[in-house]
Amino acid sequence: MRHILFVSLKFLYERKRQTIISVLGVSIGVSAFIVMSSLMLGFQNYFIQQVIDLEPHIRIKPREEKQSTEPFSLLLGEKPVEKDRILGWQDMVQNLEKHPHVLGVAPRLVSRGILKYGVKEKPITLLGIDPQREPKASIIEKFLVHKNLKKLETNKTGLIVGVLVAKSLGIKDLGKKLLLVAPNGQTLLVTVEDFFESGITNIDDARVYINIKTLQSLLNKQGEVNEIILKIRDVNMAERLSREFQELVPYEVESWQKAYRNFLSIFKIQNIITYMIVFAILTVSAFGIFNIIMMTVLEKKRDIAILMAMGFLRKDILLIFMVEGFVVGVLGAAFGSIIGFGIQEYLESVKLDVEGLIRTKGFVLDRSPIFYFYALVFSLFFSLLASLYPSYRASRLNPVDIFRSQ
Amino acid sequence: MKLIELKGVKKSIGQEHILKGVDFGVYEGEFVAIIGASGSGKSSMLYIMGLLDRPTEGEVFFEGQRVEFSDEKRLSEIRNKKIGFVFQFHYLISEFNLLENVMLPAIKMGMERDKAEERAYELLKKLGLGGKEKRKIYQISGGEMQRVAIARALMNKPSVILADEPTGNLDSKNTQRVMEIFQEINSEGTTIVMVTHELELAKLSHRVVEVKDGEILR
Repeated sequence: MRHILFVSLKFLYERKRQTIISVLGVSIGVSAFIVMSSLMLGFQNYFIQQVIDLEPHIRIKPREEKQSTEPFSLLLGEKPVEKDRILGWQDMVQNLEKHPHVLGVAPRLVSRGILKYGVKEKPITLLGIDPQREPKASIIEKFLVHKNLKKLETNKTGLIVGVLVAKSLGIKDLGKKLLLVAPNGQTLLVTVEDFFESGITNIDDARVYINIKTLQSLLNKQGEVNEIILKIRDVNMAERLSREFQELVPYEVESWQKAYRNFLSIFKIQNIITYMIVFAILTVSAFGIFNIIMMTVLEKKRDIAILMAMGFLRKDILLIFMVEGFVVGVLGAAFGSIIGFGIQEYLESVKLDVEGLIRTKGFVLDRSPIFYFYALVFSLFFSLLASLYPSYRASRLNPVDIFRSQ
Repeated sequence: MKLIELKGVKKSIGQEHILKGVDFGVYEGEFVAIIGASGSGKSSMLYIMGLLDRPTEGEVFFEGQRVEFSDEKRLSEIRNKKIGFVFQFHYLISEFNLLENVMLPAIKMGMERDKAEERAYELLKKLGLGGKEKRKIYQISGGEMQRVAIARALMNKPSVILADEPTGNLDSKNTQRVMEIFQEINSEGTTIVMVTHELELAKLSHRVVEVKDGEILR
């Protein structure tokens, strides 16, 4: 092997320009892979983590079916089926709490409403929660700016308002009085006790928390709930557990994956597109390596012939050029990783308001070392693949044909 | 003892018969010159003797043993350890300096780098290239390049040097120098087989063999 390295490394070292171009090509592919993966997965993981922390892992709610509104069914004395509430929810909560995989269960009453502040109005989603039970089933307190969840217990007309709702209404301070209008036309004067910031735009722009009892009385639905939320030990089991619970309750049981399936599908497509781009970059760099090694082989026919004359085997010739591809791959991965690391450091230091599906104060990166490992594997794979054919061609040269042609 | 022997060797490329049943032997310590016109088959004979090319028919014996041309590993080993090649064109590798070019066969053989360097220094000095070891090949003259090629051929102390028109690209002064080197190497015990079309040079050898139309005339 020493004789192979002796020749390969010398070729690489002495043909610096070509080596640098090849290494640069691979480095660009590798750094693009690292940066794009960390940006994309950073964003996706952040979103999913926020969803897992904030949203119920499993949600039980009435099925979304149309109630029979045909007049003759009422005339025949049929009672409309209750579709907007969960019957016997107390027993259900107690039973679910006993399940070994369940960490906490909480009831909710969810409704629409409008918040008015001065001349400004904002349609909102009202979440009536039990301030004692809610933290067992979601880590809502993590997202409260002033950690005033308990205030919903002491102040029955207290509200926790999403930061973007507050922004739309022009509210900056706690203690502001607002008018809450329920779908049934009932109004209530409420006080802002805290702000809520998840970082997920469509949640922060609509959600308002209120004491469940206050909402029940405002909607004239005393004792009613229309959602039971569950927090489980292993979030990845949500889908399986939701199927299990579905067998037990006559309501719709929805896992967080199902609730956010549209986003998760978009992420999948996004991943495919991103990796296709990275694949294209790596393919281009592989073609660069292919061209350079092929050119080297064509230029070095005489050298290959003399190497064979002095006892180098065809296998040795193959390995000389494969080693070149391998070294280019390793160097490309190393430099690409350094460049990628540098770009990650820079992106992490950039302070800017990212406004979109999520809101952050900068780029959210997933800086897992596994990307560096994958980058090494991909760059080696592409480099070796690119050098395979030229190396094979080199190994099949007939030295006598070359000597005769001189 | 015959170092290399060809028995009934034929070589055809397509419809063209290059060697038409050659019987030929080279004894240890000999300096043989093969002469002939261009296209006579003398180089083809040399390539077969050097185990670089396989005959279409016939047998080749090296140090008394029949050569199996299907055993690439064995052929490579013989070429590396027992045979040194010198061609009309020097075939030095441009990325390597003179020392590295000369060292290559020894590195292939598995010699330690220090020892290979030491021997390469010795050989270059012996061939009048002392002090130029670290130069690249474009920094030396054509005659010097050919001497480096001879040094490389001698690196593994081969039994035989096979030289194909080694002076074809050289002026008379360098030709004379190369021939002196060959005579000196031969006097030290290394067998030399040289292909040339110049009778004057062939006369400096022990034996002259003439090839014409793929057959040995004398």
